[in-house]
Amino acid sequence: MMRTFRESVVLWGRLMRKIVRVKLLLFFALFQPLLFLLLFSQVFNRLDQLPGFAYDSYLQFLVPSIIALTALNSAFQSGIGMVTDIEDGLLDKFLIAPIRRSSILFGKVMADATRMAMQALVIVGVSLLMGARFETGVLGVGMMIVLAACFGIAWAGLSNVIALRTGNGELTMMIGILITFPVLFLSTSFMPSALLPSWLDTVATFNPITYIVEAVRALVNTGWDWDAIGKAFGVTAGLAVVTFTAATAAFRKVIS
Amino acid sequence: MPLIEVSELVKIYPGDVQAVNDITFSVEEGEIFGFLGPNGAGKTTTIRILVTLLAPTSGRAVVDGIDVMTNPEEVRKRVGYAAQFIGVDDDLTANENLVLQARLHGLSKTEAGKRSNDLLEILQLTDAAHRRAGTFSGGMRRRLDLGQALAHDPRVLFLDEPTTGLDPQNRRALWTYLRELNERGVTIFLTTQYLEEADALTRRLAIIDQGVIAVEGTPQALKDDLGGDAITVTLAAGMDGSEVDRVAGLIGQYSDAGTARTYDGAVRVFTRDAASRLADVVRALDSAGVHVARLEVSEPTLDDVFLRHTGAKMRVEEVKQRSRMMSARKPR
Ligand SMILES: Nc1ncnc2c1ncn2[C@@H]1O[C@H](COP(=O)(O)OP(=O)(O)OP(=O)(O)O)[C@@H](O)[C@H]1O
Ligand SMILES: [Mg+2]
Repeated sequence: MMRTFRESVVLWGRLMRKIVRVKLLLFFALFQPLLFLLLFSQVFNRLDQLPGFAYDSYLQFLVPSIIALTALNSAFQSGIGMVTDIEDGLLDKFLIAPIRRSSILFGKVMADATRMAMQALVIVGVSLLMGARFETGVLGVGMMIVLAACFGIAWAGLSNVIALRTGNGELTMMIGILITFPVLFLSTSFMPSALLPSWLDTVATFNPITYIVEAVRALVNTGWDWDAIGKAFGVTAGLAVVTFTAATAAFRKVIS
Repeated sequence: MPLIEVSELVKIYPGDVQAVNDITFSVEEGEIFGFLGPNGAGKTTTIRILVTLLAPTSGRAVVDGIDVMTNPEEVRKRVGYAAQFIGVDDDLTANENLVLQARLHGLSKTEAGKRSNDLLEILQLTDAAHRRAGTFSGGMRRRLDLGQALAHDPRVLFLDEPTTGLDPQNRRALWTYLRELNERGVTIFLTTQYLEEADALTRRLAIIDQGVIAVEGTPQALKDDLGGDAITVTLAAGMDGSEVDRVAGLIGQYSDAGTARTYDGAVRVFTRDAASRLADVVRALDSAGVHVARLEVSEPTLDDVFLRHTGAKMRVEEVKQRSRMMSARKPR
């Protein structure tokens, strides 16, 4: 256990160095979510006047969605990074070291989580500057970040499955975009449940994103909704079991 | 006891590709052992099985008394491996790449830093220690990659075509360094497509072709096997195969083996008495009215050995093509 942890930390350190070092990557990791935050909050500014819209402003409503969207995007960077490491012969370098195979995955998960938490934190900071307020305060923000990172990791499992099965970074990115957008729009991310067409509202209840967004939305706007938080973690755990089982199988296949 | 023992090793890839077809060989401690073969011969496949990255279909491979299948982790502690394609992280500095490998092999932070400094010094990368590997030249990348393989001071070093893509000067420098390493007790197993390299560096070598070991021995013994010096008759341009065969028939009797070998418009006989046989060959050619472009007496080369045991010349043009492919692969 200690050993796996030590090995994972070494590999985590490499990935963190890369994030900080490759300035362009760092920029894009933060640029896109902030752009969405600015654009969407301006374009849909007047939605708060619709009857049935129960939030103080569209910004208050939007912040959780941007956090979720960022986690989804960030998750796909994980798979792309995996393909790059395989192509560059770096995975082989880790495989010939006398370390546990699981450390390679743990180190990656830890780095993904760190990146996602940093991104969520920046979004919270910028939305504060834009005038958003967070009902549950610092603790609530902490909970949001944990939730976003956990959900991001579960989704990163999916991106790694696609990456390992296709062995192609560009293809992984395209499939990522193809999945991310419908998943986002077929949820309550951009429109409250009450205002969605009824078929879409039904579809949204089968979409894991909806549960994450709703839990974070409560934390931002109304307070500690333990029922929503419980559901969000439940859905995340279920998703993680599925994606990580598949990812581990795909990883085994690649390294055998 | 040999340090590396391979017996009846077979690797069949999905799609029924027979990459390694029942090979058996062993490497003694302290040797530089070479695996010489053309593209697709099965060199990389063999080496990847030995360093535990690939499971064989059947057969056994033992390194330092440890079976690579049953106890891969112990094998990993003992071997260093520099792959055919360089594996360095371009976003990290030379020092960071080396420290990472050392840490993964269980060295503490301080030990790893010290080890990295030593390696940078030995590989003449000290000046570039804190530069990102992405800015390195091909030769520097090769050296850094070799450094990574040496990070944990392994007993056995596996090098897959370590000098492919290097200029002659860098190649010679690397040979010198590999010899020094070997003198300090590191056993080296290397693959190569260069006959010259196998000749210069290895104490023993095996020629592998289409997944089979064609012959094995010291470079000198393999050449001696051919029977003395070679007399080569190169025919004037434009001569067809029947003329080549006719000449082979004429001079075959002067070979110690009783027959001549032919290839690429040339005919070759091997004899331990080249000086007097040469006169016989010239007389025979002259009286038969053969148009000769070149006549040459030389020591046999590994190329001859290769030709004799595989029936083909080393395909040098493929080698060139492949190194182009390698440079296209990097940098991003
Ligand atoms: N993953 C794979 N799947 C299927 N066939 C493979 C795979 N890897 C290698 N082969 C095939 O196995 C054979 C041996 O390949 P190998 O890479 O071991 O040769 P090599 O001697 O290293 O060649 P080179 O000098 O080109 O590096 C080739 O025919 C190759 O096409
Ligand atoms: Mg090869």
